[in-house]
Amino acid sequence: MTRSPALSYTLVISGAPYTSQAPQSALAFAKALISGGHKLDRVFLYGDGVYLASSLVTPPSDEVNWTQLWSEFLMQTRTPAVACIASALRRGILDSAEQTRYEQPASNIAEPFEMAGLGDWVEATMTSSRILYFLPTD
Amino acid sequence: MHTLIVIDRLPYGDWHGREALDMAFSLAAFDRPVTLLFRGAGVNWLRPGQSADQLSQKSVERNLSAATIFGVSALLADKAALRQYRLSSDQLSQSASETDLTPAFYKQFDAVVVL
Repeated sequence: MTRSPALSYTLVISGAPYTSQAPQSALAFAKALISGGHKLDRVFLYGDGVYLASSLVTPPSDEVNWTQLWSEFLMQTRTPAVACIASALRRGILDSAEQTRYEQPASNIAEPFEMAGLGDWVEATMTSSRILYFLPTD
Repeated sequence: MHTLIVIDRLPYGDWHGREALDMAFSLAAFDRPVTLLFRGAGVNWLRPGQSADQLSQKSVERNLSAATIFGVSALLADKAALRQYRLSSDQLSQSASETDLTPAFYKQFDAVVVL
């Protein structure tokens, strides 16, 4: 059996943790694609998906912390992860630069997530072999 | 690569449509071919005479009116959904073309994005 050629992927997560399965499904897929010899170019959080990047996520101790699991995975695999800045600001996710810009009392973006515009997503549509969308639950 | 951005939810009820529109505008800003499709309840984005200020929101009509100026190739509306919501193409707030959502229609596009 011949092995299929390696592909590069961008995962777009637009469903929030705890109100959708999107971050969980995306993490399982990300692990599977890497173990299959493919490349994860980047993760892009959009819409309610930006809640995954909140460092203030504090589930009960017997529940999974999806932000923490994602952060660990991203750092281990050195995968860039971006939260759409417009989606994030609208939902109260800020990095220190935006905290300063908007004179807010705190920043709360979890490492290693960064904030950037939709241009990063547009670039991904031009450079990744595949873009997969993990959507909110209806 | 020609991308189809689909809006299939009512305006004003959530931010999915506005954020889908932002995606379309971003693609257009980078000169990437993009078409907007309104289907299902999303055809109500094209309903004339919206009074969004009563909901303390900005009207989506103004956003949409900029779509083709910013480089969105076309605005399309699902013919069946227009009928379902008692809209006809000649009364829409924007110049959108009616289309039948057949498999051949979707095959025109390299990517279809539905938030």
